[in-house]
Amino acid sequence: MLAGLLSTCLVLIPGLSQADETCMSPYMAKIYGQEDFVYVWTLGAVGVGDEQDKLVTVDVNPSSDTYGEVVHTVSVGGRNEAHHSGFSDDRRYLWAATLDTNKIFIFDVHTDPSKPVLDKVIDDFVASSGGVVGPHTTYALPGRMLVTGLSNNEDHGGRTAMVEYTNSGDYVKTYWMPTDDNLNGAVKSGQFADGYGYDVRALPRRNVLVTSSFTGWNNYMMDLGKLMGDPQAMTHFGNTVVIWDLHTRQPKKILDVPGAPLEIRCAWEEDHNYCFTTTALTSKIWLIYEDENEEWQAKEVADIGDASTIPLPVDISISADDKLLWVNTWNEGMTRVFDISDPFNPTVTYDKTIGQQVNMLSQSWDGSRVYFTSSLLGNWDKKNDNTEDLQYFKAYDWNGSELEFQFELDFLEANLGLPHQMRFGSYALYQ
Amino acid sequence: MRSTARRYTYCNHASIALLAGLVMLTGPLTVLGHADKPHEDANAAPIILAPGYEKLDFPAPAPGSYALPVIGEAGNGNLLTSSNQSTTLHTLLTDKISVLSFIYRACDDVNGCPLATYVLHQIQQKLAADSALHDRVQLLSVSFDPVYDTPEAMQAYRDRFSDSPINWQFLTTASTSELDPLLEAYDQSLSRRDDGSNQINHMLRVFLIDESRQVRNIFSSSLLHADTLISDIKTLVLGTTANTPSVNDNSRSTAQTLVAAAVPVETTTAIQLPSNDARTGYADGSYTSNTKAVIKGGTSADLWQHATSPILGLPALPGASDMSRDSIELGKQLFFDRRLSINNTFSCAMCHIPQQGFTVNEMATAVGVEGRTVKRNAPSLLNVGYLSRLFHDGRESRLEQQVWSPLLAHNEMANPSIGYVLDKIAAIDSYSEQFERLYGQSQPTMETLGKAMSDYQRSLVAGASSFDRWRYGNESDALTSQAQLGYTLFTGKAQCSQCHTLQAESALFTDELWHNTGIGYTRSMKQHDEPHPVTLAPGVTLMVDPAVYADAAEEPPNDLGLYEVTQNPDDRWKFRTPSLRNVALTAPYMHDGSLATLENVIEFYVRGGDDNELLSPLIKPLKLSQDEQSALVHFLQSLTSPDVPMLVSDALATPVGDVRSARLH
Repeated sequence: MLAGLLSTCLVLIPGLSQADETCMSPYMAKIYGQEDFVYVWTLGAVGVGDEQDKLVTVDVNPSSDTYGEVVHTVSVGGRNEAHHSGFSDDRRYLWAATLDTNKIFIFDVHTDPSKPVLDKVIDDFVASSGGVVGPHTTYALPGRMLVTGLSNNEDHGGRTAMVEYTNSGDYVKTYWMPTDDNLNGAVKSGQFADGYGYDVRALPRRNVLVTSSFTGWNNYMMDLGKLMGDPQAMTHFGNTVVIWDLHTRQPKKILDVPGAPLEIRCAWEEDHNYCFTTTALTSKIWLIYEDENEEWQAKEVADIGDASTIPLPVDISISADDKLLWVNTWNEGMTRVFDISDPFNPTVTYDKTIGQQVNMLSQSWDGSRVYFTSSLLGNWDKKNDNTEDLQYFKAYDWNGSELEFQFELDFLEANLGLPHQMRFGSYALYQ
Repeated sequence: MRSTARRYTYCNHASIALLAGLVMLTGPLTVLGHADKPHEDANAAPIILAPGYEKLDFPAPAPGSYALPVIGEAGNGNLLTSSNQSTTLHTLLTDKISVLSFIYRACDDVNGCPLATYVLHQIQQKLAADSALHDRVQLLSVSFDPVYDTPEAMQAYRDRFSDSPINWQFLTTASTSELDPLLEAYDQSLSRRDDGSNQINHMLRVFLIDESRQVRNIFSSSLLHADTLISDIKTLVLGTTANTPSVNDNSRSTAQTLVAAAVPVETTTAIQLPSNDARTGYADGSYTSNTKAVIKGGTSADLWQHATSPILGLPALPGASDMSRDSIELGKQLFFDRRLSINNTFSCAMCHIPQQGFTVNEMATAVGVEGRTVKRNAPSLLNVGYLSRLFHDGRESRLEQQVWSPLLAHNEMANPSIGYVLDKIAAIDSYSEQFERLYGQSQPTMETLGKAMSDYQRSLVAGASSFDRWRYGNESDALTSQAQLGYTLFTGKAQCSQCHTLQAESALFTDELWHNTGIGYTRSMKQHDEPHPVTLAPGVTLMVDPAVYADAAEEPPNDLGLYEVTQNPDDRWKFRTPSLRNVALTAPYMHDGSLATLENVIEFYVRGGDDNELLSPLIKPLKLSQDEQSALVHFLQSLTSPDVPMLVSDALATPVGDVRSARLH
């Protein structure tokens, strides 16, 4: 039934056939076959159920009696702006971060994968880190977690840092994003060294970390309409991707990628030394690649719809064979599939409207199953009276040419909240 | 694009077993080398050898060029040496730089235990020539498997790898109960496979531990390589300790720069705050970042002395005689304490940011807890102690009372009650001690909290500007001719001083009255659904139809100004005249932050404001040339106090209050 196998020593070598759950750390144990559960990190919303953030466990194994149902929830207290989550390297714990109150909720997902248990809460992230606000990506390194920040406690703007923790939740160190007066040895290759942060991914074979840049607390917590009408606020977005030395955690090169580059997805093949990112505001795909001279470069390689209609590209996902890049545009509620066989020339081969808004997507290891959720940020989400296809979890099969609908869960109707990031769970990982 | 040469060796399972045997004592005792690599078998599922078996694909970092932070204390546990002597891991770790791996003899995964042993052997060989390291570095391999990996079995390993001056010990435990504390301490989750084999599922981790028994790095299969580990070892040897500030540390003293800026300036130089993240030229594409690191630290100042001394151009400070250094200090700590909000995210300083003129330069109107919309621009607190009417609508009269409004407002700090705030503060020891000392009772009250917080705000006095020196200090050369022309216009043809008033000996530049300029009227009564320019990136501005984001936008709050206080229809859209002191530091402007620059503000008044039936009769179209408008801007810029950098530096010297408790669970 389950093909999620651990190698004897649970060894993971980045390279051949190690994909998604194609978006996670290459250090991570992977589910190669049918996942049993999707853990949906869900924002609380006023007037919806118990109004607080929660981890929602959805049964997604077709052979299960409770397939397509919510089988478990853990409410954590407060609306903390639940956002992204990531497993520790041994995949026994899920670190679920929050952008507003800066708490990191650590769930035990190995004791009973069907019933995650809240094990610890890091509630002193800001004080420990020396003022970093908005923990975003929780990215597994060996025995440690690297947490990207979005903001700071000085002005709630976009200057921020990465923060390293042990797997047990102890603070290790803060790495500030390079700024003009504090480049820390990095080369400012273009016009910008803004010190902003968002996502992080590693290419261990090239000893590289890649980070992107979004915006600070002021903007990501602000009502989207208020933000779009505020010219001052609109200038405070990130315009950079930073290449870091993975081993020393030192920034090496700052690349201009204007328009708020968000998710970073690195290719898997061992000779594919590149990553993709998309810019939220200018609505483009950018390639971050290592050239013949072993220099890292950034190049705009494709448009995603018409930027003047604010499509707002959000989550992206690369297939295990580096052939396809899924791109969700939140405001359009649409997913697109780009053929990235030639990474310099992505071309759209498929698109489909998923709902009124769509944010995250997660695909199975073999790319045959794709899941979508709707919520972007508590104060950016759509506020329509018509709640059909507004806040949902949807499961599809991908047959290679189109999505085939399987089931959906209406998170408002079920009084759960606003569903955000998904991570997969499996019994087989822990057998 | 660079294409990495295929570096990894592919091999079938039989070959892998052979390779594993090379370092597992179940096969030939040949030292691994490229000649020993197994052959590829096209029929077998390929397995990629870990990078640790190959030449490093990038230059190893130069020892000492980076820092290795302390990850944690190395755990302890009871061990048996290969000569069957009892010892503890801590005993072995004392005064040595150690590379510690966990292995088990039967492990058949080439990228698991055999990899660790291979890499440790590489280290042993490569460091053999470095005699200075012989006594400082050791290698330790501890077995996961006390049942099969007896001391005798481990001795075979030790014998095998004893030909180097780098000591390598192979250790085991007496029982699984002796092993368990080690597994716990090193976060190693084990499970025996239920397929009848003696294989153990585990995650490969190799630890670098310093001479003080602190873990300094952890390696997995995909990162483990002798060359990087040797760089780390040498970095520890070179004494790059955890206490050495790394290049990434942001704790730097900016006090000097700030204080330097506080020195009385040249008459022609505009005083500027350190613009940490200025975005000048963003829309037209001329923006080049000049971003400053998040500043930690500043220099404390004697604000009491400052605020109670005569300051050129300012009247005596009301309430100054009731202030004390201690109450200012307490109020300052509270002002920067983010715990003073319902969810510990908001201090007063999040909307009154010292480096941004004690307001927010980066948005038009404020946001509060959970990003809730505040409909007005955060007013600067510089010289707030002189005001008798507070807030843009002037609804409050005393600072001591005013401080409670943001604390309790649902869209600001959102505390649920007065008692909640007072109890929360009282529960913080450092505060209760100060309240006891200052006011005779450790439990703060509405009055004592208001007193402390208002005293800090009251101390933010900033006068003695270039204008003051010229106008009230008889320094005829303190003001540029342009600014002097601006002053003439300000008090004459442009009629600004009708509301932004001056007195003979001092000036606050406010009549503390309310006026309708039309800004509020336009916001309430005009449609705002036309396509408007939105800057999406530097130099990228597109016309955007609000309809495309309307679903995601809340209904903008209405704002009727003074009417909301008095209910008098004549007071619709009237707002309090703000002081103009330090106005160059407090963009954007007007009660709704709708005008980005001083030039925009002057253009607004030149055109006579926004017409409406209640428009103040004092607002009329002005005939001012571009040069005259420019002169007015110069005049306004001359109102910046040289004391502001000192106030900012003092603010930055104050620790930000954040939750410091360890864990909720």
